[in-house]
Amino acid sequence: MTLDWLTPILLVTALILLMIGAIRRINLWRAGQPEPVNLIAGLLAMPRRYLVDLHHVVERDKVMSNTHVATAGGFVLSMILILVVHLFGIDSPWLNGALLVATALMFTGSVFVYKRRLNPPARLSKGPWMRLPKSLMVFSGSFFLLTLLTSGFLPENFGGWVLVAVLLVGVTLGLAEMLFGMGWGGPMKHAFAGSLHLAFHRRPERFGGGRSTGLKPVDLDGKLGVAEPRDFKWNQLLGFDACVQCGRCEAVCPAFAAGQPLNPKKLIQDMVVGLAGGTDAKYAGSPYPGTEVGKAQGSPHQPIVEGLINADTLWSCTTCRACVEECPMMIEHVDAIVDMRRHLTLERGETPNKGAEVLDNLIATDNPGGYAPGSRMNWAADLDLPLMADKQEAEVLFWVSDGCFDMRSQRILRAFVSILKAAGVDFAVLGNEECDSGDVARRLGDDATFQSLARQNIATMNRYRFKRIVTTDPHAFHVLKNEYGDFGGHYDVLHHSTFINELVEQGKIKLDAFKGGTVTYHDPCYLGRYNGEYDSPRSLLGALGIQVSEMERSGYRSRCCGGGGGAPITDVPGEHRIADMRMDDARKVGAETIAVACQQCTSMLEGVVEPRPEIRDLAELVADALVVEAGPAPQPLAEEVH
Amino acid sequence: MSDIIRRNPRNEWILRNRLHPQHDELTAGSGPVRGPTGLLRKNPHAVGFIGPNGIKRIDRSAGTQGGAGGLSLRARGRSAEAAPLPLHRVEQPDFYVAVVVDLAAGRLSNHDRDVLGQAHQLVKAQADQGAVVAIALGEIRDAAFDTTGADRLIHLTEVHGQPLTGYCPELKLAVLRAVDTELAPRYWLFPDSVHGGADLGARLGARLGERPAVQAWQVDAEQTVCRGGSHRTDWQRPTARLLLLAEECALPIDETRHEARPIELAAIPPVAPRIEDLGPVEVDPSKIALGEAEFILAAGNGIQDWGQFHRAATALGATEGASRVAVDDGNMPRFRQVGATGTWVTARVYIAVGISGAIQHLQGIGQCDKVVAINLDGGCDMIKRADLSVIGDSQGILGELLALAEARQNGTETPPVTANTREEERNVA
Amino acid sequence: MPNSNVNPERNIRVATLVSVGQHPKSGRTRRAGQDARAVELGLKMAGTASRLIHVGDMAEPALRQYLGMGLPQLSVLQAGPDADAVPALATHLDEQPADIVLTGVRAESGEASGMVPYLLAERLGWPLIPRIADIQTIDNGMAEVLQALPRGQRRLLRVPLPFVATVDNAAPEARQYAFGPSRRGNFAVSLANTTADDERQQWQELPAKPRPKRLNVVKAKSAADRFKAATAKPQGQGGKVIRDGTDREKAEAIMALLVAEGVVR
Repeated sequence: MTLDWLTPILLVTALILLMIGAIRRINLWRAGQPEPVNLIAGLLAMPRRYLVDLHHVVERDKVMSNTHVATAGGFVLSMILILVVHLFGIDSPWLNGALLVATALMFTGSVFVYKRRLNPPARLSKGPWMRLPKSLMVFSGSFFLLTLLTSGFLPENFGGWVLVAVLLVGVTLGLAEMLFGMGWGGPMKHAFAGSLHLAFHRRPERFGGGRSTGLKPVDLDGKLGVAEPRDFKWNQLLGFDACVQCGRCEAVCPAFAAGQPLNPKKLIQDMVVGLAGGTDAKYAGSPYPGTEVGKAQGSPHQPIVEGLINADTLWSCTTCRACVEECPMMIEHVDAIVDMRRHLTLERGETPNKGAEVLDNLIATDNPGGYAPGSRMNWAADLDLPLMADKQEAEVLFWVSDGCFDMRSQRILRAFVSILKAAGVDFAVLGNEECDSGDVARRLGDDATFQSLARQNIATMNRYRFKRIVTTDPHAFHVLKNEYGDFGGHYDVLHHSTFINELVEQGKIKLDAFKGGTVTYHDPCYLGRYNGEYDSPRSLLGALGIQVSEMERSGYRSRCCGGGGGAPITDVPGEHRIADMRMDDARKVGAETIAVACQQCTSMLEGVVEPRPEIRDLAELVADALVVEAGPAPQPLAEEVH
Repeated sequence: MSDIIRRNPRNEWILRNRLHPQHDELTAGSGPVRGPTGLLRKNPHAVGFIGPNGIKRIDRSAGTQGGAGGLSLRARGRSAEAAPLPLHRVEQPDFYVAVVVDLAAGRLSNHDRDVLGQAHQLVKAQADQGAVVAIALGEIRDAAFDTTGADRLIHLTEVHGQPLTGYCPELKLAVLRAVDTELAPRYWLFPDSVHGGADLGARLGARLGERPAVQAWQVDAEQTVCRGGSHRTDWQRPTARLLLLAEECALPIDETRHEARPIELAAIPPVAPRIEDLGPVEVDPSKIALGEAEFILAAGNGIQDWGQFHRAATALGATEGASRVAVDDGNMPRFRQVGATGTWVTARVYIAVGISGAIQHLQGIGQCDKVVAINLDGGCDMIKRADLSVIGDSQGILGELLALAEARQNGTETPPVTANTREEERNVA
Repeated sequence: MPNSNVNPERNIRVATLVSVGQHPKSGRTRRAGQDARAVELGLKMAGTASRLIHVGDMAEPALRQYLGMGLPQLSVLQAGPDADAVPALATHLDEQPADIVLTGVRAESGEASGMVPYLLAERLGWPLIPRIADIQTIDNGMAEVLQALPRGQRRLLRVPLPFVATVDNAAPEARQYAFGPSRRGNFAVSLANTTADDERQQWQELPAKPRPKRLNVVKAKSAADRFKAATAKPQGQGGKVIRDGTDREKAEAIMALLVAEGVVR
């Protein structure tokens, strides 16, 4: 029978082509910069990463998750069994049966894929991806029938030459999509690149419930940022290739929704164009808002911002990490964007709008506003804050952050100080010795300034003894906690929401019930997604007797206020303002007060034209509800005397 | 005339005689009535008026009488007949102090006056007698050299047939060198200003090999304090012969008159200027950088008709500004944003149309001289900041303003409506 | 790029004199604002072929900020902090001639007399144009230069090459300096022929004293005038508010102020 000898030949051909394609692809990735990765450990960890960690993300969409389990599981199983049964010709009814089940499973999954593709949401890419469900059905269907034929479940010569011809076409098409396409850049590339990406991920800490959000430092004596696609680390390039163009990133991207010229999915696809060479003409998803598709072209050694993508795209990002959080392939969009920004800032000096001024100020005055460094404590002139320089030692180091120069943020800082004092916390501040944490400089791509600020701050803090750092600024919190480690600064850092919540739980402060209307809580990106702190603020609000009316997008899906990543500084125009959209979210739940936990969010949301809900920081809400007990100030001491 | 009060017996007699036909004239219009000792006397009979029913009425609501009231009229009378200031005369000066005034637009600026005042302080500090010679190069349009302290005046409008107009530092330098040879001034004083004083002073310094004291703000015969770079340091140094003086270095002359006696220069060395002035360049007010602009019309949330706003800015010759909201909404480009997060402006006149005045915005206009607010909300913060506020619909007011500006341009100015506008003084802490 | 559309004239030799500036708030050294604008103008005129010259210490880190604007080299005429820069510059420009010498109007630190360009021009016998905003054309050995006047006004001047010009704050803003080029750029160091500025050694440098605001001295002739001056409501405590009246009247009130202020002629 023709099929008996043709199938193995087809299989071998497809496998050889896959191999050639795969090696080509791997060489494309290898054009990237070296990055040490434990290859064996990665490969060994890969199945678990795929089955557990990736599945957690995919499972947020239950139907799609099951569909994928059926299709992908069916495919992997079928492929193994096809090789056993049809290539090596091991004939066993058990194997045949298993293969039948596997292909049937895959076929069922494919049907669901097909159904979703009948009326696909805008975020999904079209083009070759529309063909994929059909290819999946052809592949699984053909092999199902083929196995039925070859395994003798059907009578000899069933269907005659017509069936044989049909199966031949089906098997060829199926193998072409599934194996040849995998190696040569078809939609199935994601399976091959994706599994390797999971194995050699640049942030292995993210698997197994961990978290890795701090940016990687730039070697200031080496290449500064990414100018061309091959300046990425090799496993970053691999990561781009893993993209399945599901568009979940696009759906959550605040800049995309605001009509700014950024679409994380398109960005990753452009990176793929860059690493493989060519144009984006074949891209069949949503474009960057306001930019036509098909004009971009790139190659591994062509500067990215000259032809492949527009610098505005890179500067639109608020580094809110919503895309990274949502990506089922665990691609690191923000890393890539910041890497490219680093080149623009450090090599080209093209930080747009107020960027250059802010960086100049950071260099010259250690704060982005260009205020006199000696005026850092002016906000607290009447508060008599203990200085580390005087005390040398304290339980808690209160990291004031640059909010000290902003009149609105000062109210938050004052509220927090009143809480610290009410709880009798042994704290101190660095005062004029403090510098900007370096967050803005780093997100704007100026790692040189970031590193110098970080080193300065670490040197300052190393002079004093304290147990933990508390700050009201989630950006400083993130940087101190996750990014100073690379420079030798390892600290126990708490955000003020966590710290106040602890004080409440320990009974160190007593709170009245909040008197006011509906309250919603806006999760700051750098507290939530970056550091996983979703519970403390809510528990604190609960302690105030507040039933939080959650917005549609909250917790890990919280929508950015638009204030991160230096976005207000680079200020790329869009159709809407991100803060306005966030305010609409709050209005939808009828909130009268938005509780926030970040001074940047406060200023962004308060920038929305009134009438709008009131914006209050958690510290302000708590400070207002503090029950000040009568009698001498250190209450516990007084009790001991009695 | 002098300030000595002299009695006029005839007037006194008329004032005493209420039946004298001229009595009313004198009591009503002659201002203060002085008694025989020169003390002010109040004439109770002259107060009030006879009402229609023949009864005398005294209106004590001071002020409603306007200019006819007692005090204001008296004050006006006083200033009108202000005694001429004493003349300061220097016949044979032992030395000269040369002051080169900017004479920007043909007028003496306050800076020029301060420098002249400084010159006199330097003269006074010397043992011998000196004269301040003002050097005015170019057309004089409105400059009173006598009351500002010029004992001598060198005024030239051309040098060797070349007019001293526009930018001609080489010609002016030639004049100054001639002055230096002929008068050998003990001090050379220049206003350290962008109107040419700093430039000319530095040129003269370089030419004469004199090291000038620049940005000098505290000068006496021995010591000078100069402001250093970035205004961060003061340099205390012996007073130089050539001084480039900062603004408000000394008080201007206001209690003496001076001769301003012209001096003719005997010879001015020939010059061949290399710098040629091609004249001022027409500058489109909308192209002037916000930070530099003198007159800004700024738009905020309250603007409905943007076309009208742009037309008004053009007609008024104002540079356009905007609040953050107007920029965020895409109605104005980002570089037009005024405020702490945009551009800090230094305009002399700033009109805020429909801007309620967020704190950042008010910060950004902190250095503006006169702020005019047009707003619907009479309680907004911009009104508290503004020197003149009109409450009302911005579109209508802007429309009228546009019409007025266009009328001015076409020279068909309509007489202002003289309706009795009720104005309200507000005292905002 | 602000000037990417202008084709730099390669055969024009531009030398920019740069100094070490200081931040007005922190006092930290940095590139000086006006000098950086001069460098920017130099880049526009001659591209990266324009030269940078500094008299002072090459160890000063702020100098790298000029290199960070994309120029490969900075000539440092090594000299002590009290050296007189003019002779060194004149010698250097004699050896390596230039057509245009640009610099800032005044330094940001030290005496900041702004005399260096004047003394240099006097020494070289070149014309000097102060406070320029732009160099528009260079044609036949003549340059048309836009001079900045207060309040955004401009004047066009024609001057023969070579000349010295000081660059005003109104000139196009200096490009951002980038870390990469600033790290790569190098210094061409030569020992400067300078003399110490002995005169300045005698002077005293003190932190700037705040200058007193001039008070509105009322020279009143009579008791009533003095009384009035003392009790009059201080200016600026809230302005005039017009609530009633037609739009026309309100517009006229505004127009009257504009005319009185002289902004509408």
